[in-house]
Amino acid sequence: MEDALVRAGRALRLVLLIALAVLFLIPFYLLVRNGLSSEAEITAPGWTLFPRRPHFSNVRELFTDPDVPMAHALLNSSLIAVATTAGTLLLASLAGYGLARIPYRHANAVFYAVVGTLMVPAAVTFVPSFVLVSSLGWVSTLRGLIVPTLFSAFACFVFRQYFLGFPRELEDAAQVDGLGYWRTYWRVVVPNSRPVFAAVGTIVFIGAWNSFLWPLVIGQGRSSWTVQVALSTFTTAQTVNLHELFVAAAVSIVPLLLVFVLLQRYIVAGVERSGIDD
Amino acid sequence: MGAARPSGAGTRRTRQRNHTLWFWTFVGPFVAGLTLFTYVPLAWSVYLSFFDAHNTVSPTEFTGLGNYTAMLGDGAFRSSLVTFAVFTAFIVPTTYVLALGLALAVNRLRAGRAFFRSVFFLPAACSYVVAAMIWKLSVFNGVRFGLANTVLGWFGAEPVAWLSATDPPWYWLVIVTVRLWLQTGFYMLLFLAGLQRVPVRLYEAAALDGARPGWQTFRHITFPALRATSVAVVLLLVVNAFQAFDEFYNLLSGTRGYPPYARPPLVYLYYTALGQGQDLGLGSAGAVILALVILVVTVVQARWTGLGRTEE
Amino acid sequence: MPISRRQLMAAGAGLAAAGGLPTACGSDTGRADGGSGPRLSQWYHQYGEPGTRQAVERYAAAYRKARVRVEWRPGNYDQQTAAALLGSSGPDVFEVNGPTIEQIQGGQVADLTELIKDVKDDFHPAVLAPKTYEGRVWGIPQLVDTQLLYYRKSLLRAAGLRPPATLDALIDAARELTTKRAKGLFLGNDGGASALAGTPLYAAGLSLVTPGGTVGFDEPAAARTLGKLHRLYADKSLLLGAPTDWANPAAFAQGLTAMQWCGLWALPQIAKALGDDFGVLPFPPDGPAGRPAVPVGAWTAAVSARGGHREAAEAFVRWLWIERTDLQKDFALSYGFHIPARASLAATADRLRQGAAAEAVRFTEEHGFAQPLLWTAASQTAYLDALNRVIKEGADPGAQLRAVVRTAGAELRRVQKRR
Repeated sequence: MEDALVRAGRALRLVLLIALAVLFLIPFYLLVRNGLSSEAEITAPGWTLFPRRPHFSNVRELFTDPDVPMAHALLNSSLIAVATTAGTLLLASLAGYGLARIPYRHANAVFYAVVGTLMVPAAVTFVPSFVLVSSLGWVSTLRGLIVPTLFSAFACFVFRQYFLGFPRELEDAAQVDGLGYWRTYWRVVVPNSRPVFAAVGTIVFIGAWNSFLWPLVIGQGRSSWTVQVALSTFTTAQTVNLHELFVAAAVSIVPLLLVFVLLQRYIVAGVERSGIDD
Repeated sequence: MGAARPSGAGTRRTRQRNHTLWFWTFVGPFVAGLTLFTYVPLAWSVYLSFFDAHNTVSPTEFTGLGNYTAMLGDGAFRSSLVTFAVFTAFIVPTTYVLALGLALAVNRLRAGRAFFRSVFFLPAACSYVVAAMIWKLSVFNGVRFGLANTVLGWFGAEPVAWLSATDPPWYWLVIVTVRLWLQTGFYMLLFLAGLQRVPVRLYEAAALDGARPGWQTFRHITFPALRATSVAVVLLLVVNAFQAFDEFYNLLSGTRGYPPYARPPLVYLYYTALGQGQDLGLGSAGAVILALVILVVTVVQARWTGLGRTEE
Repeated sequence: MPISRRQLMAAGAGLAAAGGLPTACGSDTGRADGGSGPRLSQWYHQYGEPGTRQAVERYAAAYRKARVRVEWRPGNYDQQTAAALLGSSGPDVFEVNGPTIEQIQGGQVADLTELIKDVKDDFHPAVLAPKTYEGRVWGIPQLVDTQLLYYRKSLLRAAGLRPPATLDALIDAARELTTKRAKGLFLGNDGGASALAGTPLYAAGLSLVTPGGTVGFDEPAAARTLGKLHRLYADKSLLLGAPTDWANPAAFAQGLTAMQWCGLWALPQIAKALGDDFGVLPFPPDGPAGRPAVPVGAWTAAVSARGGHREAAEAFVRWLWIERTDLQKDFALSYGFHIPARASLAATADRLRQGAAAEAVRFTEEHGFAQPLLWTAASQTAYLDALNRVIKEGADPGAQLRAVVRTAGAELRRVQKRR
């Protein structure tokens, strides 16, 4: 009796999960379906589950559009996202380790000053930030696009929480061997913390890939367009070509999905061990 | 560090100096950057909020608290704060329950865990722009070829203008679903991580005490064990809800403006002050008020739920 | 009224291809740094019409006295220019819907009165007025855009209706034309507030700002006219939730609506889709003092006062937007569908002399009004909020307008206080 109940409950749970999973996947389906349809198929009154003959030419059309340098934008975005991720991981992990492990009288004050910035909406500081970067002469430069975004309070917070829970014995052993903080960090701590780097790295990578306003305003000139900027040209100014819009959107998320699929194991493990939530 | 005890006052001071030096070696670059690229602009904004700063970042006309009283006296701004307090009160528990429910369900799966986990986490990869586009143009557009209206059509119902209808306010359905879709997976992942850390012996002990698996176990074991995770999730959710901008802007803004409903404080500030009409003093004042509201809510919440305690 | 086409733009793709060769073009390299001398940066918002970007790059390359680099900006253009003008790295020359009163008062844009003084009378006065502050001109209109009511002749005929000549007739027609398959009127997905903005006030014989610089709609007629717009919504005559907004002719062309408020820029596309089964109208008058209303706006060339090469920039603007009438005509007519900013050019444009296009030009000349310079962003937001509530919630127009009058009055006092 009890067994049957438990089994029924389990079956119900599975059915619910499958239903929810389908719901969660519908938007991806729409991206692909619309992206491979012709305009007429998208706006037709009856719903077609999938275009009978997928218009792969939409993809070619996108990459040969003379007004939107999509391939170049993909390259720019990759470069910026990789550089931002690498820089953020380095700076935030060092800071997180220092805050978690090195005794210093004002460490707590510094920590709260870092975390406090999470409360401030980015829109507040947007105009002064722009003026600042422009007075540094960094407009339209790669460093203007990358450097100001490298100091992520969120990443620093996560690393600090993670390092608080890092097994002390490992570090102590290193200290006994005469390694200072610096070498302990690089030889012992970093190699044993790969998952948390993967987790934070993914989150930072997604953020960098998806950021729009900063690259738009700082990166002047078509040669510095990122994917999001290129994508926005389909939503802001032209006649709305639904198929082109959707195929562009689909292309813009492919690299992220790849990162996800490849790194997902590490991400989960990283979150589990990071103490993001402690 | 803790391994060897310093033997004299002199050594201690040297060690301390050493520590301080090392601390800043590790933390210094980050703090310097944060200061330059966050604190300087922030201080600048606060400074602007006390001036009449139309189209300038170096104003000369000091107006004291004028901008603050103007902003607080502005009914539209106040109503957007209220709307977003209500929105927060709704979206935070909803996301929380959904994320926790998904985490519990996925966690107890025997097969296909990785699959379901990825499916629910995948939307986190989408930008707000892309998500808003799918919702506005394909799922919830107001004409017959939208997905939602197609489904309604199967049941013989009339198409609904989802984003334009104010009575009933269907636009909330659009906004809430897009937000749930985008962010639930991330919080589910946090809960999943939390669940891995609940010691198995707690469950074993509970089973010995006669607690039945299911609600009782959840109520007395799992939920309390997830407290730290819950606190962090709620904190992030609240901060995000008050800072809402992207999906609202992308879903509801028209060619020239934004309707007076479902208007987040940041969107309102954007239209009146921080966007094209550059009343930077007034806009900064509004933003400072918003940041203070967020700060107060978070601090109260942290006190109430005891976020600080995990620091020790 | 700034015709903000940055969000959605109907491309005049149909005729653009046939729009003729770019007239004069000093250099064929197509490179944007043809000349010598200082480097200038020139900004345009992203026009939707194919070929526009290539055209402006050709113009820049043809200029010999400076090396002009064209920046083509997608996204929210007004915000980008506003931010860029605060820093030192902004454009030297840029097009703008404004310049806004704050940009002028803040000394962010250069005084261009000297450039335009010999040909000032050639520009449409309604368009030039909002570019003029205290007798000085702060921007050179590049082209004129206008908005109109498009209607399907065949549908009106079938319903036994004449083109509506009053607001009441429009409301009745929209109701009559609403069927199971299509709606009567499309005023944008928000029900009309942002598309119409100040237009109904002008149709009631009022204005946003009086010539004396006070609020122009503090009259009972304003509430009466705006109140009528709610009937369109309450009658369910309005198309709502279309995938494209009012600035795009798709809903009208696809037959989702019998009438639509849209821009002149959409005319070629509509003609392509519907042949001659359509006509254009101004926004119809209402009340005893009413008059037809046609909003006009202009993308305008301005010079940044903070750019490093102000004189070179002004010389370039003089060359392109004053002297090179051939390029100005090419720009207005060869890609999208606009009215040249100068009457002498508009008069020679064959495309504007036939059919609905000719009607549109006539309406613009007779009934054109532009959003006043003194009408600020804060006033606009307050007004649109009120209009939105009146249309969609049936809020009391009198009470709503009183709040707007307060806000707008304070704004008007503010911008006129500082000298």
